Amino acid sequence: MSRRPKIARVRRVLIANRGEIAVRVIRTLRERGITSVAVFSEPDREALHVLLADEAYPIGPGPARESYLNPERVLETARRVKADAVHPGYGFFAENAAFAHTCAEAGLLFIGPPADVIARLGDKLAAREIARRAEVPLIPASPGPLAGVDEAGKAARAIGFPVMLKAAAGGGGKGMRIVSTEAELAAAWELARGEASAAFDDDRIYVERFIERPRHVEAQILADAKGHVAFLGERECSVQRRHQKLLEETPCPAFDPATRSAFADAACRIAKTAGYVGVGTVEFLLDADGHFYFLEVNTRLQVEHPVTEMVTGLDLVAEQIRVAEGDALWFGGDPPAPRGCAIEARILAEDPANHFLPSAGRIDRLRLPQGPGVRNDSGVTQGFQVPVFYDSLLSKLIVWGPDREIARRRLLRALDETVLEGVHHNLVFHRWLAAHPAFASARLSTRFLEEHFTAAALEPSPEAAEVALIAAALHARHERAAVALPAENRGRSPWRWAERGRSPGARR
Amino acid sequence: MKLWVAREGHDTEVEFEARGDRLWLTIEGRRLEADCRRLWDGEVYSVLIEGRSHEVRVSSPGGRLEVTLDGATIPVEVRHPLEKLLQATGPAARASGRETVVAPMPGLVVALRVRPGDVVAAGQPVVVVEAMKMQNELATRGGGVVTDVLVEERTPVSAGQALVRIAQAGS
Repeated sequence: MSRRPKIARVRRVLIANRGEIAVRVIRTLRERGITSVAVFSEPDREALHVLLADEAYPIGPGPARESYLNPERVLETARRVKADAVHPGYGFFAENAAFAHTCAEAGLLFIGPPADVIARLGDKLAAREIARRAEVPLIPASPGPLAGVDEAGKAARAIGFPVMLKAAAGGGGKGMRIVSTEAELAAAWELARGEASAAFDDDRIYVERFIERPRHVEAQILADAKGHVAFLGERECSVQRRHQKLLEETPCPAFDPATRSAFADAACRIAKTAGYVGVGTVEFLLDADGHFYFLEVNTRLQVEHPVTEMVTGLDLVAEQIRVAEGDALWFGGDPPAPRGCAIEARILAEDPANHFLPSAGRIDRLRLPQGPGVRNDSGVTQGFQVPVFYDSLLSKLIVWGPDREIARRRLLRALDETVLEGVHHNLVFHRWLAAHPAFASARLSTRFLEEHFTAAALEPSPEAAEVALIAAALHARHERAAVALPAENRGRSPWRWAERGRSPGARR
Repeated sequence: MKLWVAREGHDTEVEFEARGDRLWLTIEGRRLEADCRRLWDGEVYSVLIEGRSHEVRVSSPGGRLEVTLDGATIPVEVRHPLEKLLQATGPAARASGRETVVAPMPGLVVALRVRPGDVVAAGQPVVVVEAMKMQNELATRGGGVVTDVLVEERTPVSAGQALVRIAQAGS
């Protein structure tokens, strides 16, 4: 175990992150009377986390490696502004053991697990070894990282196709590729290695059996430094695209009490075996027969942590700070019982009608939904220029309901209320998803999109299309003589009225 | 007042009839009362059609008219009856026989999968662009013969930048 710096209470916390998660952390800090210190890259000068923090300091240009992912700049800023702790959020340094270690050496409290625990669990192969010792079921895999594509082929044949190539340092779906046949292996190998290298600076890849149509279910755990581990409920995150979660909910609709109890035990055994401290997530795949298999441990606060907060009433950022300060779990062995159901939809700057490609640009208009059971964790404001350098998460819409169906209808209502314009986004996708009969009846798997989604699903309804036509006509009438130019001149301006005014020959 | 509105190439006639401060429109044989208010932010309207409330945005990026409602953006064209006549007699759209694979978003070219002279099938990936931490394979729609590769690996590209040109087979 690494030694943690002795601090009574943190007073000044530097948030080594941006976007909605930086905003989320700032909120708890401010509620607890702790000074929140933001850092920002050049394009983030006007970002919401800068506006909301008590203090904010520049750390460099847009590319993450020169700012948010530059450990020297972040740590130098932390020292200079006399922060006593660093909250990493998720992504960036959240699961970087070297960074956590450097913080400890510099006398900064890293709000997360000890560096050696991050290192052990961050390596997926070492994490599998911990799960094996904790007697938790595992998916068949190659015993270690693979030297090259030939060795990958050999391992894949031994396990049996389809297989999954996975980055040993992986997380968040990056550096992961499904390979259905041997012919696809070489291309997938290069893509997985390229992504792993770019995302984690570590290109070790191993191969694992691909479980068809699994559900993705994860355990939220909270452990203190005295060895107590609590299970704070599960989250189902099966709706994914390219291993990126799009929508998460709690409780898992497929769980019965016996499965949940076995699942909670397995997650806690892994946390205890690993010497875990802090907030963490143990991810599992649940097969069609209700068996679960260990996937990985995320040694950070998850993007989807608000659904757990909604049903338990806990503030997980506050819990992180408490256990980092050395406190025991305040609820002892009896965590708050979850109540009702919560669903989170990730609002992303990407275009579902165009292969979900990411979209940058200015948020021209933003009106977030309100009302009963609705929470928005947003990192953007109207007028904000979404930079191209970072991930595409703009905002998270979280709803709570006394049961799943009420939560689902509330999600639809809140999506209908949301106005977001200026960048491409996936609101229409979420509306499709929340209204889909398979989703409504909780028939979920990680293949949900492949099985149900087509771009045609996003076509406007006949009513919406007619309203669009009428609105365009009303607008044209409003503009008096606004008309499109004939085909040859198209691409200039649809406002012929204005064009006419400017060109003297156009009018007699 | 009469206008033609078109979506996906399908023309629809809309006829307006204003009486006092009330407005009716006729579309596809139906007569509907409409009320339209421009909201403070200029491009946004509150539209009541037979009492049904819609909030729509009508914008014109790049010279095209787009209507955004319920989170979806729908391209629409508006023409006068005269414009419609002009368009009917104009030259037909020329089939180009060439395809240009463009960067759909700003990013970094991380891999080129083709060289000039390569024959590619429809849907085959030709270039990998990394943006927002994801690697995106960009494929040719129609396939054909690669005539130009306009970028190099590890170079940043902007949205809409041409990356690879392909001559379609048989053209």
